[in-house]
Amino acid sequence: MRKPSYLLMMLSVLCFAVPAFAQEKGGGTSHGDWVAITSGFAMAIASAVCGLAQARATAAAAEGLARNPSARPGIQLALILGLALIESLALYTLVIIFAKVA
Amino acid sequence: MEMETKSANFYAGALERIRSFMIGLAVLLSLAAWAAFRWPAALGFQLGCAIAYINFYWLKRVVSAMADRITQTGKRESGKGIVLRFLLRYVLMGVGAYAILSVSPASLYGLLTGLFLPVGAIACEAGYELYVAVARGL
Repeated sequence: MRKPSYLLMMLSVLCFAVPAFAQEKGGGTSHGDWVAITSGFAMAIASAVCGLAQARATAAAAEGLARNPSARPGIQLALILGLALIESLALYTLVIIFAKVA
Repeated sequence: MEMETKSANFYAGALERIRSFMIGLAVLLSLAAWAAFRWPAALGFQLGCAIAYINFYWLKRVVSAMADRITQTGKRESGKGIVLRFLLRYVLMGVGAYAILSVSPASLYGLLTGLFLPVGAIACEAGYELYVAVARGL
């Protein structure tokens, strides 16, 4: 069981050392490239975190509703507002990316 | 006891008030965008507002359908339909952004601003609730 994992670790280390990915002479990444790359990461992180937050909020609301159905109006309102505000956080990231990249 | 009922009634109407705030803000800010940045930005803003409004409405329906399923009350909607509607909101946003991007970049900024309509409406509602809490003690 250990041998395949060592093999995979070695392969992943070797991937980082592939000469094909080596920087060419005078061909480094410009400032604009880094903005695009970091924007992609920023959007991915924002989407992932917002997804997790929405999942947690929905799970907590579902649990609360199942335990106490009479508290439905309050829980439903809090969930709708929470989901709308969490979604807007991903939108903030998107707007910042558009402002920086475009 | 009467105070508690009044308070519960007031807070129960929050979603309806948010909807009204969204409509009011959309009209006011569309006029402001048209006056300040001319029609492409105003058009983009209106499209963004429309998408945000539909998005919020569908979100409300999805949450309501989910609550119906959990509490086993009301009309049971299919799980597929709930999930499909939840995902369709993002498709709608993407299509709107693509359509407006092909018209002009200025309207894209308007569209992105319009998508924040629910946040503005929620902020207005928070301000109104604060005012009512201080002025009427609800």
